[in-house]
Amino acid sequence: MSLARVLAVTRKSLGQISGDRRTFAFVLVVPLVLILVFGYGFGGQPTHVAVAVSNSDVGPDGARLLAALPSGVLDLTNASSAASAYNSVHDGNAWAAIVIGPNFSRDLVAGNATITAYLDGSSPTTASAVLSAIQSSIQKTFAGPTGKTPLVIAPEYVYGSATTSFIDTLAPGVMAIVVTFATTILAILVLVREKSQGLIERLLATPLRPWEFVMGHGLSLAVVAAAQSTVVLVASIVIFQASFVGSIGLAFGILVLYALGNIGLGLLISAVAQSEFQAVQLIPFIIFPQLLFTGALFPLDSIPVSFRPVSEFLPLTYAADALRSILLRGWSIGSIGWDLLALILYAGLTLGGAAALVRRQA
Amino acid sequence: MSVPTSVGSASQSVAFSCRGVGKQFGSITALRSVDLEVPRGTLLGLLGPNGAGKTTLIRILLGITSASQGSVRVLGATVPYREVLPRIGYMPQNLAVYTDLRVRQNLGVFGRLYGLSSESLSSRSRDVLELVHLSDRAGSRVSELSGGMQRRVSLAVALLTNPDLLLLDEPTVGVDPELRAEFWSYFHRLASEGKTIVMTTHYMEEATQCDRVAMLHAGELIAYDVPSVLKGRTHTSTMDDAFLALVRGRSGGGAS
Repeated sequence: MSLARVLAVTRKSLGQISGDRRTFAFVLVVPLVLILVFGYGFGGQPTHVAVAVSNSDVGPDGARLLAALPSGVLDLTNASSAASAYNSVHDGNAWAAIVIGPNFSRDLVAGNATITAYLDGSSPTTASAVLSAIQSSIQKTFAGPTGKTPLVIAPEYVYGSATTSFIDTLAPGVMAIVVTFATTILAILVLVREKSQGLIERLLATPLRPWEFVMGHGLSLAVVAAAQSTVVLVASIVIFQASFVGSIGLAFGILVLYALGNIGLGLLISAVAQSEFQAVQLIPFIIFPQLLFTGALFPLDSIPVSFRPVSEFLPLTYAADALRSILLRGWSIGSIGWDLLALILYAGLTLGGAAALVRRQA
Repeated sequence: MSVPTSVGSASQSVAFSCRGVGKQFGSITALRSVDLEVPRGTLLGLLGPNGAGKTTLIRILLGITSASQGSVRVLGATVPYREVLPRIGYMPQNLAVYTDLRVRQNLGVFGRLYGLSSESLSSRSRDVLELVHLSDRAGSRVSELSGGMQRRVSLAVALLTNPDLLLLDEPTVGVDPELRAEFWSYFHRLASEGKTIVMTTHYMEEATQCDRVAMLHAGELIAYDVPSVLKGRTHTSTMDDAFLALVRGRSGGGAS
């Protein structure tokens, strides 16, 4: 393996990308647009959230609590019973239901009051907005001199699971998706293009080895992925004020490693495909399962049990898990060993497979 | 893999040799038992209609395709012979240069892959661009050039390492007559300097300018000789007729 030859391919490919203004723009603008779309789509503060309420409190405090709810955030509808309030969430007519029992005022005095919040966890941002609205109302209405409130909210998820915000669960997965979107597609097209112009054959008539050829392309696309990772991380922090507790550098490394695996997969597909058209047709088959079955966007618990094992074969599962652990739990490299191993394996197998297939092209 | 070694003085004077070389692609036979030994300094025309096996033979000489049968030695080395590849210039039938890159960038890519130092890259680039009359277009994107100019870029890449063996697949297609004449005089000059040139063409008449011609028909080598000798032997006045006579002679079963 000659580094000079690898770099010759890398340099050539970067020249092609930066020389083509449209591709260059595509590479930098697409991740920004996507992170904005996902960010605003998932991360904005919800307003006018439909909420059903059932207040059967015989005392006055239930009504006081409801009156203090911020009106711009929640649109309240009275339900005839606790069951009907629950059903409006179950049937998708409300994002949440607040149920106040008959003894609420009395329990409040005793210091053991509970209100139940039924939540639709399929939109974590909405669910958490509802909860924080209730919380602030309780704080305003009942907080004692110490700031302690004598009641407990019992959140119950009608759909989904543990409550989370965009930044909490989605940012890591979205980052991984956004960063690899363009690089995977570029990788899918790059070998097909060279093959169709007879360039692979021509290059193999030089001392260039198939491994060097694949690594050269892999490196040039990894540079693209690194630029995109920077865009996405900076946008998350600056625009969405994501409060990451872990190492940004490690997250960057994971993003690029995952991108490398996707580049390998793209090159693999590219080596198999006979034309650009064929190659492009495979893109949805790579993108959508990763979006749906990896926990990157939707909690894994929301997938039917029979589909869950699929996630173990999708690399994004490991990338999203590693990023979440790093950015939100502050874990170090030692704690994400399995994810790291899976991603290294992914990159190694796909790049190796691509090299083997390029050899067979000739 | 192995460093090319020369065995005796005979191999020193041989540019390449094929011994019983055959090639099958599935059920299709592209080459059948080709024996050919070409001395250094030869300007060899590889003739034959489309599908005769010309390109397959070139690809086998380059090591891009491996022969199904037989053995090949090129510049004293047995295939695979990655180490001698910088001594072989190759101009494929299709363009095979990066059309979205500039002419100079293309020379840079291939020069670096062939391991040229940056000094020799820039001096060789200057020389080959002058030769193919593209010195003033070094900064142009290949896609902006005419078809003939693009072919010349491909030829410039083939000549870049000042190779001992030049394999040119249809080098004169799309090149205008004036420049074509210039190419031929350049090829003759290279041959006189001891370089070996193999060029395929299906324009038979062009091949009369070669020192020797090898005629392929349906994967078989049906003739390998000096053009005038071939014409004399077949009592024909053109290479086209000579080729037809040779083919007819074979299919009639009454080979010479």
